[in-house]
Amino acid sequence: MRSVGAARAATAGVWLLLTICPLALGEWRLAQLAQIMSYGIFAMSLAFVWGQTGLLCFGQAIFFGTGAYAMALITKGLLPALGDGPAMGLLAATVLPGLGALLAGMLMFRGRGLSGAYFAIVTLAAAVIAERAASHWDFIGGFNGLLDVPPLRYGFGRGRVELLATTPVYYAMLGAAGAVYGLLLWLERSPVGTALRAVRDNEQRTAYFGFDIAAYKSFSLALSGAVAGLAGGLFVTQFGFVSPALIGVPLSTEVLIWTALGGREVLLAAFLGALGVRSAESALSKALGDYWLLGLGLSFIASVVIFPRGLLGGLLSLPLPRRMVGGGDPRPSRART
Amino acid sequence: MAAVLLIALDAANFTLALLLVTLGLVIIFGLMNVINMAHGELFLLGAYTVVLVERRGGSFWVALLLAPLALAVAGLLIEELVIRHVYRRFIDTILATWGLSISLKQAVIVVFGPTAQQVENPLPQTVTILTTLYPGYRLFIMAVAVLLALGTFFLFYRTRLGLVARAVIANRPMAASLGLNTRRMDRMTFAFGAALAGLAGAVMAPLMSVDPQMGVGFLIPAFLSILVGGTGSLLGTVLGTTLIASAGTVVASVWTQIAAQLVVFGLAIVVIRLFPRGLTGGRRG
Repeated sequence: MRSVGAARAATAGVWLLLTICPLALGEWRLAQLAQIMSYGIFAMSLAFVWGQTGLLCFGQAIFFGTGAYAMALITKGLLPALGDGPAMGLLAATVLPGLGALLAGMLMFRGRGLSGAYFAIVTLAAAVIAERAASHWDFIGGFNGLLDVPPLRYGFGRGRVELLATTPVYYAMLGAAGAVYGLLLWLERSPVGTALRAVRDNEQRTAYFGFDIAAYKSFSLALSGAVAGLAGGLFVTQFGFVSPALIGVPLSTEVLIWTALGGREVLLAAFLGALGVRSAESALSKALGDYWLLGLGLSFIASVVIFPRGLLGGLLSLPLPRRMVGGGDPRPSRART
Repeated sequence: MAAVLLIALDAANFTLALLLVTLGLVIIFGLMNVINMAHGELFLLGAYTVVLVERRGGSFWVALLLAPLALAVAGLLIEELVIRHVYRRFIDTILATWGLSISLKQAVIVVFGPTAQQVENPLPQTVTILTTLYPGYRLFIMAVAVLLALGTFFLFYRTRLGLVARAVIANRPMAASLGLNTRRMDRMTFAFGAALAGLAGAVMAPLMSVDPQMGVGFLIPAFLSILVGGTGSLLGTVLGTTLIASAGTVVASVWTQIAAQLVVFGLAIVVIRLFPRGLTGGRRG
């Protein structure tokens, strides 16, 4: 049971470390960490739909990109009917991809739906379509995308203040990441999460137990899409631009790599995978040039072959919820008498 | 009339080129139950073999012979180093080969740079078909593809080796317990599929701008062809490829290339949703 305690301690330690980062890091590094926090949230969205539900999505960036475009359009005031508030922006960035994912999920999973590899290939094709469509749609900036997206703001109307100082921005991003983590972890450990893992491990058997497989899968995809969209919305406030590259295959691939390297079955491992790879990339990619992506690809293969649970998955894997410990129902069965 | 004939010829040309890529993919999938996401990059390596040979002063025809051989060797290596470790983990084969796809593409960028390379057309003559002038090299590609497809069919349905392969596809444990060496079949299958992809890349090189992104451009249509046609038989693959490639060519000729891609991918997704076993798999099954 020692390792179980270790996972809890490590999880708490990671969040504690992230909380005290502003004390230890310089301005520039902290700003950078705040920026890649949106990638971390994005990776958690994939870890949920893939690691918990078993849906290998090759088009996760579709949701991220949709959220990013929604946020950019609204905060730049291009959709006057919706105002230009950041709250409305983030709401749209979350709801729009979430609803899109729900619809797509219901279309794909109802009846004898798509599963396994077919889902992967269909989402890959969808990512290509999304990228092509975005780069030829002039309203959202076409090939160049949208530039000069304002940063996070708070307050209303003319009294609105832009959130520019590094430390508050960092805590805003960390707060968002923590909230997403809390929500997804709670779901994962609730009976719903158990059902999702049952779907992942054996779809047919779960269906025989009377669970509505399509509904569970659609729900998982929708939630994951909403979280990815939120990540995209936060991304644009940090980087200030959105382009078709954010909605297509390359970013979908990257998030897959972060999640797989960190650990697909553990939310925090995927989150740290994204943070780790992005930090390493900003530190090394200039020195390594084209070799960086080559090395990343090779280490991805190695991790899939040698560590299917990711580099951190084992370390950070939390113990099962208490209701599931021990063999079945601990209460004496009444049915037997 | 001439325009229609031209579109028909172009459609046939694209169909046959796509068929070369798809055949390797479907054989690997059928026999080994491996979704080879790196197949586009094997195609890419075939094309770059031509670039390399021509840089060294070799002729195109030498390269055309060398490409499938080189790719067969590459296929053996890949099977040994990566694929065989993930056989029993179906989803992980997708990930591992996707990683392979990234790495191979990036390796090509490291060696040749990201810019497009040109390969000279080895048969610049045009041929008159009815009333239309058509490039001779495209006819050559069609001939190669037809021959290879027929050769593959012959191999699978008329030889002992093909019988063994089909036995492994139908029931692997049974084939193994009857004493067939499934391990050797896997190796040969992957090498054969890689060689087909390599040859396709080499033969297509003079028609395309040879750049590191060309693999993905063939991978997705190839996968969609397989899923649309059904994974059960090679004939389903031919049907799927014909549909995807012809639809693409026709839409592109009346509209734009981009529109063609959007329409074809979108329609393919709908077909796959309605017929999860492919058009030849029947609605029930």
